[in-house]
Amino acid sequence: MGIAEEYTEPSAGSRFERGLQYLWKHRQAYLLIAPAAIFLLSVVGWPILETFRLSFYESPADSTIETYVGFQHYVEIFQSDIFYQLLWQTGRWVLVGVAGKALLGLLIAIHLKGDIRGRKFFRTAFLIPWGIPYAISAVVFRWIEHPQYGYLNAILIKLGVIDQGIGILGNPEVAWLGVVVADIWIGTPFMAIIFLAGLQSIPEELYEAAAIDGAEKWEQFRYITIPQLKSVILIATLLSTIWTFVSFDTIWTMTGGGPINTTSTLVIWIYQVGLQNGNLGRGAAYSVVGFLFLLVFAVIYLRIYTRGGDEL
Amino acid sequence: MMAGQERSQLRKVRLYGVLIALLGIMMFPFYAMFSSTFKPESEIFSSPATLFPAEASIQSYIEVWAQTDVLLWIGNSFLISLGTVALTLLLAIPAAYSCARNDFVGKRSFLLAVLVVQMFAPVVLIVGLFDVITQFGIYNTYFAVIIPAAAFTLPFNVWMLYGYFQTIPESLEESARIDGASQRQILTKIVLPLTKPALVASITYTFLYAWNRLLFVLTFLTDAGKYNIPRGVFSMVGALQTDWRMMLTVSVIGILPLLVLFAFLEEYIVAGMTAGAVKE
Repeated sequence: MGIAEEYTEPSAGSRFERGLQYLWKHRQAYLLIAPAAIFLLSVVGWPILETFRLSFYESPADSTIETYVGFQHYVEIFQSDIFYQLLWQTGRWVLVGVAGKALLGLLIAIHLKGDIRGRKFFRTAFLIPWGIPYAISAVVFRWIEHPQYGYLNAILIKLGVIDQGIGILGNPEVAWLGVVVADIWIGTPFMAIIFLAGLQSIPEELYEAAAIDGAEKWEQFRYITIPQLKSVILIATLLSTIWTFVSFDTIWTMTGGGPINTTSTLVIWIYQVGLQNGNLGRGAAYSVVGFLFLLVFAVIYLRIYTRGGDEL
Repeated sequence: MMAGQERSQLRKVRLYGVLIALLGIMMFPFYAMFSSTFKPESEIFSSPATLFPAEASIQSYIEVWAQTDVLLWIGNSFLISLGTVALTLLLAIPAAYSCARNDFVGKRSFLLAVLVVQMFAPVVLIVGLFDVITQFGIYNTYFAVIIPAAAFTLPFNVWMLYGYFQTIPESLEESARIDGASQRQILTKIVLPLTKPALVASITYTFLYAWNRLLFVLTFLTDAGKYNIPRGVFSMVGALQTDWRMMLTVSVIGILPLLVLFAFLEEYIVAGMTAGAVKE
C-alpha cells in the first residue's frame, strides 16, 4: 500500500532508475531475504527446471551423454499399462490411507477433548508414531506381519482365525493393505493432534445450548462438531493427502514396491525408474506427472490458506 | 441426583476404556519391537511368535554394540540433524525478520513461494536433485543430505518465525535503538530471546525431519561410514535373510533420543504441528 505512494513521488529518472532507487531504499529488507531466496532457487528451483529438461532426454545416470528425444518419454508413459496401474494403486493408497488416518485421528481427538486426567501423557504417547523414522516403523510392521515369526499371525492363530501363518507382504492381492496399515499408523497422530486443537477451539456454550434444547450426543456431533471443525478437517485432510501421495520411505522399506509392483505408487516408480534403474530421463518425465498432481494440491491449499483477504 | 452421578461415572469409565484401547492399538508396534529385543535368539525365531518373552535377556543389546555400527549411525544422525538445524536457522531468521518488519515489493510472492516449497515433496524432485547435487560436486558428502533437508525445512521455519516476530512490538526495538543498540544487537539480545517458543518449535521440527528421513541419505550417500539411523536400519534388511533381532535392537536405540525429545518438548512439537492447519 505504501508502495504505490512512493511510486507517485515525482522522480527525475526513468522507470529503471526509480526501480533501482526503490531497491536501494529497501536494501536491508532485500539483503536479509536474499540468502533464503537464493538458497531455495538453487536447491528447489533449479532441480525443478532440471527435471523438466531431463524429461526430454535419454540420460543414463552412469554416463554424461544425453540424447534429446523430445516427447518420447511422455508418449511411452501414457501408452504403457504400468502407468494406469500406478494411477489406480496410488489412488487406492491415498484414499484408504487418508480415510484411515482421518477416522482414527478423529476418534482419538474426540476422546482426548474433555477433562482428561493425564492428557499430556496420552497426547505425547499418541504423538510418538508420527515422530520416529518411517524406515523404523516400516521394519517394525514388516516384523509384525512376518509370515513365520510375526505377532499378527501369532494373535490370529491364538484367536482361531487361521491355523497357519499367512504372508501378507508376499501376496500380490493384499500386500498393499499390509503397507497401508503401517502408513495409517504413522499418519494418524497428525490428524489426532490437529483435530484435537480444532475441537478445543469450539466454544463450550454451543454444546450447552444444544443440550438445553435436548440434542442427543450424536446430534451434537453431527450439527455442532462437524460444521465447526469443517475448515480444520479440510486443511488436515489436504495436507495428509499430499503426504500420503508422496510417501516414500515406508513403502520402499517394507516392499520396495513389490511383489510384482503391486505396492508401487507414482513416487515409488519415479525412484525405481530414475534412480534404481538409472534412467534419469524417464524418471524425470514421471516426476513431471507427479508435479502436476502436487500443483493441483498446492493451488487448493493456497486458496484455502489465503481465503478471506490479505493475511500476509 | 444419584442416577445422574452414576451415569457420569459410567461415561468416564467408557471414555477411559476407549482411550486405553486406542492407546493399546497405537502402542502395539512399540510393544512388538521392544519385547522382541528382549527375547533370546532361540525364542525370537519360534513360530508362532510368543507374545510375551518367556525369559527376558539383554543379550541383543550387548551384541548390537559389537556387531553393528549403531554408535556411528547415531553420531551421523546427530551431525546431520544439527547441521540441518544450523543451516536452516541461519537462512530463516533473517528472512522471517525482514518480512515481519518491512513492507516491500515481492514479500508476498516470496512468502507464498516458500509455502509452495513446503508442499514440494523431495521425492518428486529427487531425479532433478540428483543431477544438481552431482553438479554441485557434493555427492557422497554430508552436504548432499544437509542442504536438501534444510531446503525442505526452511518453509516451516520461515513461516513459524515470521508469525512470531510479528507479535513482538516494534516499540521494544525502537527504544533499544535510541539507547544506541546496533541492528545485530537488537536481533540477538532483544528479539531472539523473546522468540524462544517459536525457535524451539522450529528447531525440534527441523531436528526430527533430518533425523527421520531416509530418502536423501539413501540417494546421496554411498559411503556406509556416513549412514544415519534410518539408512543403517535399512541396510540391515537383507534380500534373503534379515537379522531381525539386531535390526529391532538398533531401531530401539535409534528412537531413544527422540523419546527424550518428546518427553521434554511435546508442547512445542504440538504447537509446530498445528501452526499451519489451525488458525486462531
